[in-house]
Amino acid sequence: METQTARLRLCDLQLAQGSRTVLEHINGEFRDGAITALIGANGTGKSTLIQGIMGMLKPIAGRVECQVPNERRAWLPQQLALDLTFPMSVEELVMTGSWPSHGAFKGYCAAHYRKGREIMARLGISHLAHRPLGELSGGQRQRALIGRTLMQEAELLLLDEPFANVDSDTVEVLMTVLRDMARDGATIIVVLHDMEQLSRLTSEAIVLAGGHARWVPVESFLQQPIADSPAPFLTHAITGVGTC
Amino acid sequence: MLDTWIWWASSPFDYAFMRRALAACLALSFTAPIIGVLLSLRGLCLMSEALSHAMLPGIALAFMLAGFSLPLMMLGGLAAGLVTVGVASAISLSSGLREDAAMASLFLLAMASGVMLMTLSGSALDLGHILFGSVLAVDTGTLLLVAASCSLVLVALAVAYRALVVESLDPLFLTLQGRHAGWTKALFMSLTVTTLVVSFQTLGALMAAGLMLLPATASRYWSRRLETMLPLACGLAVLSSIVGLLLSYHLDLPAGPAIVLLAGGGYLISLLLGPHGGMLARRLSRPAPGEAEREHANV
Repeated sequence: METQTARLRLCDLQLAQGSRTVLEHINGEFRDGAITALIGANGTGKSTLIQGIMGMLKPIAGRVECQVPNERRAWLPQQLALDLTFPMSVEELVMTGSWPSHGAFKGYCAAHYRKGREIMARLGISHLAHRPLGELSGGQRQRALIGRTLMQEAELLLLDEPFANVDSDTVEVLMTVLRDMARDGATIIVVLHDMEQLSRLTSEAIVLAGGHARWVPVESFLQQPIADSPAPFLTHAITGVGTC
Repeated sequence: MLDTWIWWASSPFDYAFMRRALAACLALSFTAPIIGVLLSLRGLCLMSEALSHAMLPGIALAFMLAGFSLPLMMLGGLAAGLVTVGVASAISLSSGLREDAAMASLFLLAMASGVMLMTLSGSALDLGHILFGSVLAVDTGTLLLVAASCSLVLVALAVAYRALVVESLDPLFLTLQGRHAGWTKALFMSLTVTTLVVSFQTLGALMAAGLMLLPATASRYWSRRLETMLPLACGLAVLSSIVGLLLSYHLDLPAGPAIVLLAGGGYLISLLLGPHGGMLARRLSRPAPGEAEREHANV
């Protein structure tokens, strides 16, 4: 579904960590239903930009215009700082995604449990429903976490290296689910290093380098070998990116 | 034989002071371990330990002003605890340093000033009571206060249970949701301080976190489900309280340390025998040499 509306815009955004300006003069928009890859070498400000978009980091100048309500935003940090021994089952984790509708007090009804089970089936983790989180593999845990964002009906989803330490079957399942979410209108931003995965998932990328961000079609740097790539900033960015 | 055991277990409670001590310990045993389990899930065990010492100046100040009045001392402890939590998070927010550093510094400061205030104003005996608890000195008024505080904490825990668990698992998730995140943490810290203050009465300022943390850490070795861990932790606390009081009566031991030692024994046994991460379980589940070869042979 190609929609031209964009509920997430960056207007002359400038972000700093402590006293160091990391990114400046960032202008652009994220169309609804688009998956955008965020690439750049280490230290170019990928995490900073994500924090800025999520409102965890106050801009020094400019602003983030986001019309997606708070409760529909989701962020999956890289190797989520989850306590691996946390005594919670997969189903319970997925069900916490109903926070926007249920908050802290409202009881879950049968329909919500059904929805949770459907989501687990879609992600192929039905058989793990009652398994404690501590007994899951990396891939299974990532599926459960995506399950939570599905339960949350996330409309803005930021993922940091979602396919790291994840088996290839899980990568396929997650890619399908992410594409489905995008088709339903969700805005998805994903930090990726693997060029092959990137080209399969999205056609648009933001390249971060030298404190700036450029929106670039993915083909532009996939087709051309690095040696004769056009812009110096792109070369700089891509050398920090694992080749396919 | 049986009669002897029944006599051993019941005769101490012919005395009103033992009954009051038992009631206070039981009230605490149904509350503190739940807080403790949530603390251990957040990795805040040491913080709560520090916090229990940070109550000392408030207790000392109340003691200086009003003498050995347990309700007032509890109030003083509560105030000092809450102030310390608030100041610690303010320091870590403004300086960017981790909260535990601020907490540790403040706790030392509080502890030293507490002991200093106590020695300047009271006798060594009172200091002993305050540091090591005086569960056998609980009067009816204090008992009511203990019971009321514990009930309040339990109700608050029940109401906010989901928020507390979700926040323990993934604070970022709640922060992004923009709702509930702030009050959840504040509520939890207030409940922790309240429980510690109640606990101070029983176990003293030095061991107030004993019934909170030891049963909680022990229960993690027995289950990977929160709804099993919570009753297990409470069970261990109840058992330690009852047996601890009995031992203290019959063998003339100090009650607070006896209770904490028993809970600690429960922790050590869990560490050895618990099926989830216990030392024995880990040794047994370690594959024997050559097992991989056999596995391959079977394939």
